[in-house]
Amino acid sequence: MANSVKIDWKEVIKLGLILFAISAVAACLLALTNYVTAGTIKQLNLDTNTAARQQVLSEATDFQQVPADQLANIGTEIGLKNPGELVEAYVGTNNGNIVGYTVKTAPSKGYSGPVEMLTGITTDGVVQAIAILKQNETPGLGAKATLPEFKDQFNGKSALAEIIVVKSKPAEGSNEIQAITGATITSKAVTDGVNLANQIYQYQTQSK
Amino acid sequence: MNFVKNLTRGIIRENPTFVLVLGMCPTLAVTTSSINGMGMGLATMVVLIGSNVVISAMRKIIPDNIRIPAFVVIIASFVTIIGMLMKAYLPTLDAALGIYIPLIVVNCIILARAEAFAFSNSVVDSFADGLGMGLGFTLALTLLGSIREILGAGSIFGFTLFGVAYEPVLLMILPPGAFLTLGLMIGFINWKSKKKA
Repeated sequence: MANSVKIDWKEVIKLGLILFAISAVAACLLALTNYVTAGTIKQLNLDTNTAARQQVLSEATDFQQVPADQLANIGTEIGLKNPGELVEAYVGTNNGNIVGYTVKTAPSKGYSGPVEMLTGITTDGVVQAIAILKQNETPGLGAKATLPEFKDQFNGKSALAEIIVVKSKPAEGSNEIQAITGATITSKAVTDGVNLANQIYQYQTQSK
Repeated sequence: MNFVKNLTRGIIRENPTFVLVLGMCPTLAVTTSSINGMGMGLATMVVLIGSNVVISAMRKIIPDNIRIPAFVVIIASFVTIIGMLMKAYLPTLDAALGIYIPLIVVNCIILARAEAFAFSNSVVDSFADGLGMGLGFTLALTLLGSIREILGAGSIFGFTLFGVAYEPVLLMILPPGAFLTLGLMIGFINWKSKKKA
């Protein structure tokens, strides 16, 4: 072992400590920023959610959350395979009368991860509107799902029948949605989300 | 004098995309439209200026042997902090540019400029370098995005150009379109600069 490398332990420890110091300062700065901003970000997210609920169910003035365990039970009842897809649900009321429901779903079969979205369903069994809250789809393709051209197709569809994705122009009055060109997977995922919300609605209204 | 030289170098002569061929991942992935290209470019520019300045200011206390891990820690923290601040205090800007911020962490332009420039130059020069490289990157991405959007969607910055009769070449906004456009652009620029020399 004539050529064995001599390790300068003093140097190694010194460098390690310097790197440790840099990382420690970085961690402190990150923690500090997180501490300062976390509250504001949480509040903003809450506001965004409230605004989105209002947008998809415009008649409602007040929203009460459906208890999480109750919602999870409904998910099991309707045979939901992936419980993570059902995020939360709210009952929308106006002067104490129930005017509809909003269901937040996260269909997992998006092109790049789940698509977080909100569906508003009125008590007469019609999808009023949907909103895409969080998505990671391809810009210029799947991300077009957030544009009115695609998502407004759901407005006025029946919540009592399954909504189907087609590639050509759907027939008038049918429960069909035209897929975004080049982004069938995203289109299907969003439709899955609406259909899941509809299933919750159907369960909720039939069980009463 | 030096400031201007450092500033303009990144825009054309050493354009990060077309000449240095850095940061190809975000370049290929987000240039599906002019606005996406510009958004990514501007967000990168802000981070690049910031990281160049920070690295340059710390260049005396970072030992040579561990500069790369130190850069990575500094850049990642810097990007995350910008991301959090933007989310909390500039929600509209975050809605427009927020999706690009996490992509910047993996953009090698940032690390490359830290290593090649900021680590051995003054804070002011590093600022100029970051600004110039950022502008060059923004220009390149906006150009790529515009070409792809015009051909692939028949519009520019969202404005329809040719009316409804135009059948867009969808391929251009799909991944192959990114490779085709970038390859042809780099080829064109090499051809041009060869002729000059």
